[in-house]
Amino acid sequence: MCETNKNIYLPYLTTVVEVIDETPDVRTLRLVFQDEQVRDSFAFRAGQFAEYSAFGAGEATFCIASSPTRTGYIECSFRSVGRVTEELRRLEVGDSMGFRGPYGNSYPIEEFYGKNMVFVAGGIALPPLRTLIWNCLDLRDKFGDITIVYGARAEADLVYKRELQEWQERADVRLVKTVDPGGNGPGWDGKIGFVPTILEETAPSAENTIALVCGPPIMIKFTLPVLEKLGFSDEQVYTTLENRMKCGLGKCGRCNVGNVYVCKDGPVFTAKQIKAMPMEF
Amino acid sequence: MQKYITQQNLNTLIDTLIASGTRVVAPRMSAGIPLYEPLDSSVEMVTDQLPRRSAKEAFFPVCEEIMSYEKEGQQIKLTDIDPARFPETVLVGVRPCDAAAIPVLDAVFSWDYKDEFFLERRRKTTVIGLACTTADDACFCTAVGLSPAETRGSDLFLTPLNGGGFACQSYSEKGEALISNNSALFSEPNNAAPLPLAAPQADKIDLKKVKSWLDGHFEDPLWDGIAVRCVGCGACAFVCPACHCFDIVDEGTEKAGKRRKSWDACGFWKFTHHASGHNPRDLQPKRYRNRIMHKFKYYDDKFGQTLCTGCGRCVRVCPVGIDIAAIVEEISKK
Repeated sequence: MCETNKNIYLPYLTTVVEVIDETPDVRTLRLVFQDEQVRDSFAFRAGQFAEYSAFGAGEATFCIASSPTRTGYIECSFRSVGRVTEELRRLEVGDSMGFRGPYGNSYPIEEFYGKNMVFVAGGIALPPLRTLIWNCLDLRDKFGDITIVYGARAEADLVYKRELQEWQERADVRLVKTVDPGGNGPGWDGKIGFVPTILEETAPSAENTIALVCGPPIMIKFTLPVLEKLGFSDEQVYTTLENRMKCGLGKCGRCNVGNVYVCKDGPVFTAKQIKAMPMEF
Repeated sequence: MQKYITQQNLNTLIDTLIASGTRVVAPRMSAGIPLYEPLDSSVEMVTDQLPRRSAKEAFFPVCEEIMSYEKEGQQIKLTDIDPARFPETVLVGVRPCDAAAIPVLDAVFSWDYKDEFFLERRRKTTVIGLACTTADDACFCTAVGLSPAETRGSDLFLTPLNGGGFACQSYSEKGEALISNNSALFSEPNNAAPLPLAAPQADKIDLKKVKSWLDGHFEDPLWDGIAVRCVGCGACAFVCPACHCFDIVDEGTEKAGKRRKSWDACGFWKFTHHASGHNPRDLQPKRYRNRIMHKFKYYDDKFGQTLCTGCGRCVRVCPVGIDIAAIVEEISKK
C-alpha cells in the first residue's frame, strides 16, 4: 500500500543486536531498526507497548522495556511461555524480527517532575517499570527520592540482575530487593518476604510521591491496600494492565475490560481508574 | 434522486457492470446456501431468501492476507498488499439489516488508526439496498429501531413495486453516479404502490433502558442463567453483520508464509486466554456477557450506536437456541 494508505498491520523490520538471558526463561532482546529513516525518526514514551513478530509463529504483545532516553535501539523482555515467545527465543544476534508500535498511552512523566517516585514490581513485571525507572534516572535532577521495591519468588527469577546491582550501588536510588521465603540462596543480601509486606516495612512517604505498581494480580491486590495505609491516594498510584491483544489498535476486540480498551485507553492507568473498572482482568 | 427501474433493466445493469469488469456481489445460491457472492450473471441473483451470512465480508473477508514474509539467511523480506487487489464493486440486493451494519463497521475500522483493508474496499464499493417484503420469526430489525425499508448504509435503495420493478432512491454521490452513468436503464418514478413491507413480529425494545440496565449490572445472576448452555461455538459472531472481532495469525513455515487477518469470536475460550494461563473471561457466561455488553453498551459508549441490526441470524443459527432478542427484551423490562 502506498504511504498515504498505510497498511497498519505491516511491521517494521529490526535486527537483534544483543541477547541477554535474565533468568532461565526470561530473555531480553535489543533491537535496531533496519530502515535508517525509521531508526532516526522512531520515538516512543515510557509505558507504551508493541507487537513483536516471530514470522511463521505470529505476534506477541510486550511493553517496550528500554527507556526513551536511550536512543538508537529498543529492548523487550519476555518469558518463553507460548508459541510466539518460544520462536522469539530462538532468535540470535543478527536475526531479523518484526516490530509494530509504539501503541497505547504512556506514563505522564512530565506530571511526575519534582516528585518522589516509588516503584513496586514483582517477578517478570519489572520491564514495564524499568523503562520509566531509566527514564527518571536519565533525568535524575527532575525527580526527588527514587525508591524501588522489587521482588520475585526466588533469586533466580529476578530480572535485570546487572541493573539491580547498579541501582543498589547508586547513592541516589534506594533499592529494596526481596525474595519470597525459601527463595533465597546462601549469598542473598536482600530482604526475605512478599512484596506488599516489604513495601510496608520500607514505608516510603506518600507526600509529594507517585507510586507505580506492576506485578501479578495477586501482588497488586495486596499492594494497593498497603499504599493506601501509607497515605497514597488512588490518583497517586499508577499501574499498567496487560491483556491478550492482536491488533493493538482498538479494533480486534479482545483486550477490553468493560468498555475500557487496554490497547487504546491504557495500558497505563491510575488506581482510581482501575477501581472504576468491572472485575474482568 | 428518485427513479424507477424495471427488473429487466436491473438485470441489464448488473450484466453491464460485470462486462465492464466491475465485481458485482449479490445473494446467490452457493452449494444450496444463499450467500453474498460475486455474480457471473444477473440470472444467479436470488432475492427471496436472506443470505446465510451478512454482506460484511464484501469489506471484511472471513480470512484475508495482510502481508507475506520470506526469510533468507538472517534477512526477512516483507511483501505488502497491493490495493489494486480490491476491485471496484457493486453490492446488489443488500438487506436493510446488512446495509445498516456497514456504517457501524466504518466507525470501528476508521477511528484513530485506519484499516485500509476495510476502508479501501469501502471506497470502491457502491451499496444497493433492497427493501424486505418477507420476514421470518427470527427477524427483529423493528425491535432495534430499524425497519424493512431502512436506507442507512445504502447508496441506492430499491423498493419493490406492485406490478413489477423498483422505486430507486439515491442516498449518496456514489448512488447518483451509478444512475447517471447508466441513465438509459432508469426512468422517471411512476405512481405504482410499493409491495407491502415485511412485518417482523418482535416488539420494539427500549434500547436506552437496556443500556442503562447494562451500565449498572456487570455482575448479575442473569448472566449465568442465560449463558450456561452456550457451547461457545462462535457461530453467532460469524453470521452477524456487525460483529468485527478478528485474529491475526501466520500461516506458513519460518522460511516463508502469509500473515492473515481472520474473523474471531468473543465466545471462544481462547479469545482472551493469556499465555500465562490466566483468562479474564474464563467461563462461558462471562464471554456471553461480553457479547451483550459490547453490542448494547460498550459500542454505544464509544460510538453512540447499537452493534445489532436485528437480522436475527444469530437466533436462527444458535445450536442451543439462545435468542438475543428475547434476552435484550427481558433486560429492557427490568
